Amino acid sequence: MLEGAEFYFNVDHGYLEGLVRGCKASLLTQQDYINLVQCETLEDVKIHLQTTDYGNFLANETNPLTVSKIDTEMRKKLCREFEYFRNHSLEPLSTFFTYMTCSYMIDNVILLMNGALQKKSVKEILVKCHPLGRFTEMEAVNIAETPSDLFNAVLVETPLAPFFQDCMSENTLDELNIELLRNKLYKSYLEAFYKFCKNHGDVTAEIMCPILEFEADRRAFIITLNSFGTELSKDDRETLYPTCGKLYPEGLRLLAQAEDFDQMRRVAEHYGVYKPLFEAVGDGSGGKTLEDVFYEHEVQMNVLAFNRQFHYGVFYAYAKLKEQEMRNIVWIAECISQRHRTKINSYIPIL
Amino acid sequence: MAAPGLRAQMDSLLLQLLRDLEELEAKRAALNARVEEGWFSLSKARYAMGAKSVGPLQYASRMEPQVCVYTSEAQDGLQKVWVVRASAQTPEEVGPREAALRRRKGLSRTPEPESSPAPRDPLNWFGILVPHSLRHAQASFREGLQLAADMASLQIRIDWGQSQLRGLQEKLKQLEPQSA
Repeated sequence: MLEGAEFYFNVDHGYLEGLVRGCKASLLTQQDYINLVQCETLEDVKIHLQTTDYGNFLANETNPLTVSKIDTEMRKKLCREFEYFRNHSLEPLSTFFTYMTCSYMIDNVILLMNGALQKKSVKEILVKCHPLGRFTEMEAVNIAETPSDLFNAVLVETPLAPFFQDCMSENTLDELNIELLRNKLYKSYLEAFYKFCKNHGDVTAEIMCPILEFEADRRAFIITLNSFGTELSKDDRETLYPTCGKLYPEGLRLLAQAEDFDQMRRVAEHYGVYKPLFEAVGDGSGGKTLEDVFYEHEVQMNVLAFNRQFHYGVFYAYAKLKEQEMRNIVWIAECISQRHRTKINSYIPIL
Repeated sequence: MAAPGLRAQMDSLLLQLLRDLEELEAKRAALNARVEEGWFSLSKARYAMGAKSVGPLQYASRMEPQVCVYTSEAQDGLQKVWVVRASAQTPEEVGPREAALRRRKGLSRTPEPESSPAPRDPLNWFGILVPHSLRHAQASFREGLQLAADMASLQIRIDWGQSQLRGLQEKLKQLEPQSA
């Protein structure tokens, strides 16, 4: 691929880049967050959100307003914007958008499988699925009993098909196997997305590859942290780590042997990027958790993506920043509805 | 004279009642704190996992209880409320069945007709790899359960104490006009 995106990027993608930058400018500001934090009830939150780019998105909601409804409506709004971008995109940006939706599709598939395990009706779960990950074969997911079943009967025509190579097995899908399936699918997806961006080259690769490397490493750390004290074996754990990050291969091997948080921290200290992140983690219930620190780092990387032009990373970064904004609003709303305001300022402002 | 004896009894009963009431208030405050903590940890888990991953979609409408409430009579005739973990039945015939189990291992898994499957940890409704905030939530709610059982026992004792006190007051009233 010839370098020099500034010569030809705008022909196919200039309109959409302009649009996404406009959308990014309408993300909530620090002042908006200060106003939200001072609300007393969810109705106040709704009123304050009307003054932002969200507008009257909750106008059709019946009483009483719940945090779940706010979250659903925010997701629908993001989906509308995303669908507009997607409908106006040309290749290879369209493939890039498809890759972006795959992570939501994986979440939806897992949600449907868990629902089948709990004997819930498909309709009930379909309503709560992430709109960005919608695909036509969704309703049939719950009939599958094993991963091979799932692939052959349901997902073979979807964009998720290529990610099933390591996941084929005849084990019935109980909770452990569903968790393994989720993580293996995500690992294949991330590695494929990384390869796509790297092969594309140019500014897109320069922006997206570090972001995806961080995502891979973050997943490795979080899987390790959450697997302490569970029935997941160390070998199984190692098969879930995505290999497209900085930790591959030595870091991942060390991480697979870690048995507590301090051992994990020692692995992270070998890497210049991750050492300060682990140092920022507070201990006990007082300070930040590892997930908070990772979210902050992700927000920083996504904001920096907007400093370069003529690359696809702006779309990915906008979607992720919007998601963080939704997490912030849901967090503030939960603190308000539970009247537990001590940690209400733990949101991550997007500057 | 029966009256001073009765009065002494009443005094000790009243003191016990007040002590129980104080304990009940303390336990109630602790229960409220635990439940609040539990819900807040659930919110933190939702922040880490996604808002729809920790919610009514993840649990079945019919659940097997993990914990049962039992009552028993203590020596003074009062009922005490216990909270007991519902443990799985110990399979007595594990010896002769083991050979059968080993044989089956190679074949495709057929559901074994167990009398009562081991109670599954509700934490696993949300996946195997759950964030620590979810585990904190479970711990908080479990502590709250124990507190609730203690509060129920205390409430029974307080009610009994009140009725005893009323009975003694009646007796005293009957004695007083006689002695006057």
